[in-house]
Amino acid sequence: MNNRNMPYRLCLLTDFMKWREFSFKRYRKWLLPLLILAAMTEGAAIICGATFGKLEEGLLKGISFLGFMFPPDWSAFAEMVQPAFQSIVIAFLGTVFGTILSVVFALLAAANISNPWVRNITRLLIGLERSIPEIVILLLLIAAFGLGSMPGIIALSLGCIGMLGKLLADTIEELDPIMMESMESVGANKMQIIVFGVLPQIMPNLISYALFRFEINIRLSVILGAVGAGGVGYELDYSFGMLQYHRAFTALLVIIVMIFGTERLSYILRGKIKMEGALK
Amino acid sequence: MNTIEITLPSKKYKRRMTIFSVSAIVVSVACIYMNFNPLGFFAEFHFVRDLLGEMFMPNYRVLADNSSIGYSILQTLSMAFLGTIYGGIIAVILAFLAALNTMPYRIVRVLTSITLSLLRVIPVLVVILIFVIAVGPGVFAGMLTLVITTIGTFGKLFAEIIENTENPPGEAIYSVGASRLQVIRFSIIPQILPSLIANLLYAFDVNIRTAIGLGIFGGGGIGFQLQMAKSVLHYKDVTALISIIIVLVILAEKLSDFLRRKILGDGKLR
Amino acid sequence: MIEVKNLTKSLPNGRMLLDGISFKVRKGEFVGILGPSGAGKTLTLRCLNGLLKPDTGEVIIHDENGNGRDICKINKRELRRVRQRIGVIFQGYHLVKRLSALENVMIGRLGQISTARSLFYGFTDGEAAEALLALEKVKIGHLAEIKTGNLSGGEMQRVAIARAIFQLPTLLIADEPISNLDPSNAKVIMKMIKPLSATMPVVGVFHQPDMTAKYCTRVIAIKDGKVIYDGDPKLSNDMLVEIYGEELSLIEQQEHAVPAMLIN
Repeated sequence: MNNRNMPYRLCLLTDFMKWREFSFKRYRKWLLPLLILAAMTEGAAIICGATFGKLEEGLLKGISFLGFMFPPDWSAFAEMVQPAFQSIVIAFLGTVFGTILSVVFALLAAANISNPWVRNITRLLIGLERSIPEIVILLLLIAAFGLGSMPGIIALSLGCIGMLGKLLADTIEELDPIMMESMESVGANKMQIIVFGVLPQIMPNLISYALFRFEINIRLSVILGAVGAGGVGYELDYSFGMLQYHRAFTALLVIIVMIFGTERLSYILRGKIKMEGALK
Repeated sequence: MNTIEITLPSKKYKRRMTIFSVSAIVVSVACIYMNFNPLGFFAEFHFVRDLLGEMFMPNYRVLADNSSIGYSILQTLSMAFLGTIYGGIIAVILAFLAALNTMPYRIVRVLTSITLSLLRVIPVLVVILIFVIAVGPGVFAGMLTLVITTIGTFGKLFAEIIENTENPPGEAIYSVGASRLQVIRFSIIPQILPSLIANLLYAFDVNIRTAIGLGIFGGGGIGFQLQMAKSVLHYKDVTALISIIIVLVILAEKLSDFLRRKILGDGKLR
Repeated sequence: MIEVKNLTKSLPNGRMLLDGISFKVRKGEFVGILGPSGAGKTLTLRCLNGLLKPDTGEVIIHDENGNGRDICKINKRELRRVRQRIGVIFQGYHLVKRLSALENVMIGRLGQISTARSLFYGFTDGEAAEALLALEKVKIGHLAEIKTGNLSGGEMQRVAIARAIFQLPTLLIADEPISNLDPSNAKVIMKMIKPLSATMPVVGVFHQPDMTAKYCTRVIAIKDGKVIYDGDPKLSNDMLVEIYGEELSLIEQQEHAVPAMLIN
């Protein structure tokens, strides 16, 4: 029987029946959920026009196209350096400003620092921000300010709030309340408690999260670049648009190096923070 | 009287100020290089205000006028769903091939690991652009992209999860025969199943967000509609679509949270 | 001097947590507050520096000129000013772990420094020198630059005492300062707290009647929100039973022996 043409639903069923040999009773409770899952997959597949066969075909086409793009256009490497650097700087600035914003939001969103009203509203805002993909934010900013690196940097900064804001707020809420009571009892006011108590305690976490977010922002910087923020993402998109696929492959290689490099760097720095954070 | 060495606060202050100044200079140079004025956001706020003015009163009638909006929501969801399922299945298979305790042949492990690393590092942008060329723009291309990115994000993770299972038998098992291999599979699978399901639900969550973004590059779905509305400057439609997106994402998050709790019982995502 | 008049606090369901607590503590006295868990000791202590507001009653703190303020009635800014001169020692790790011992001591005067200066400049060298002196008074000057989280429990409490000394306080309150310490460290801490009572009233909540018997000048026992004893720190067995409701026996500790409490 040609597997390629067998509808996937039947595949699932035959696989399932093979399991019967082991112990049907144990898997009985999975029957209903699996059927629902199968039905949903079927529905989704119709919408996407994706049967098993087409799936395999599509993936192979994609991979072969990637092969077609090889080899890279060696002369284009020199042109990619500046855009790559720009993408990195965009990600860097986005992370820096985003972290500062996130700290402010986190302080407002921590139950042990701010009052319940402010806290709940801020948490809502943070949750809302998390729901909006950065690309959408960028589109809006481009609509307001036009193309360029500025909307890109702002979009990345705002994008940090959802993740860093929540993480930091949770970290702040986990601080030992007795430490803050102790400071309050000797006469420190709220700002002093924050600067001398909260910030020193969360600093290792902050830097760790920020470095992690930097990794994410580098990837985002590439995508946002294509939409109009500039940098190597834009070069990639441009190359595709001009059908210069080898140049695009060059851009791809540069991007891969960028991402790998950033991940390594972030990993090493975070390792050092971990050691430092062990109260040495 | 022995003297004790302490760093004077004044010195500490100087040190702090130096670090701060240097950082500020680096950031300022970067800003100048990128032609970015952080205060520009506020100085030129009238742009934002104008935009907000044009955007406000979201036009929900666009849902009624344009029947394809509703369908595009379905498209985005399907994209994310299929991408997660197919991608998840392939990721699990590849993970088994890449894990130390389930793949005794080193060459297979190494090759799979390299493949997974490459898939992880390849930017989403490239994948969608390639698929748009390979299979044409639309939801199908978007779905394939999500399959690839899901494998990339979770392949390595799943391999690590598999390697971290408690596995009493040693490598001696492999010399005993195929049927034993299957027994291992079925002792590992129950152990990794909770993690697997939790991560797949999380993947679904992430993929919905990505799917929206992909729409802008020709991936179809509601992201595509958003881009369309924006390019013809129908900002009221844009607002309406954004609010729908927000609701969609929040619902998906709640759903995946709910399902995770039901299937696994309360506890944090591993 | 600190004067507590008729403190009451009740839960919404009517249960009285504090039921008319009144006492006075003068300069020269080291008062230990004892009582079973949940009796209201900690609540009373928290009323003393305003962390808790009682339903009724007054807490009057007199400064060195003899002028008294009822801290239950003052606003937040005034309360902060009063707290500048109240030293506090809590149970367990209540200092900022990632700051050095010296920095933690200097935090004691945050209330006395202008906010702007403290936030943008930090502490002055003069303050650092005085803080170092305070640390030396509690014999841990050599640990000044060590992060407080790396110190042992006993050392950390000594930093807390140094912080209190650094504040130049007019009142010292302590909430179970030795409950987390081993007996020899507990002894050291009590020995360091006691001399402070020469210049200011010292009030502490304790769970260790043997310690209060040895170091305090006076003991107040609180049970069910009421003061049931106020007097000689050396409690008789009958009194202990009445307070704690258990057969307890106190063994007079010798110089180098470990104090013990036997439950018959």
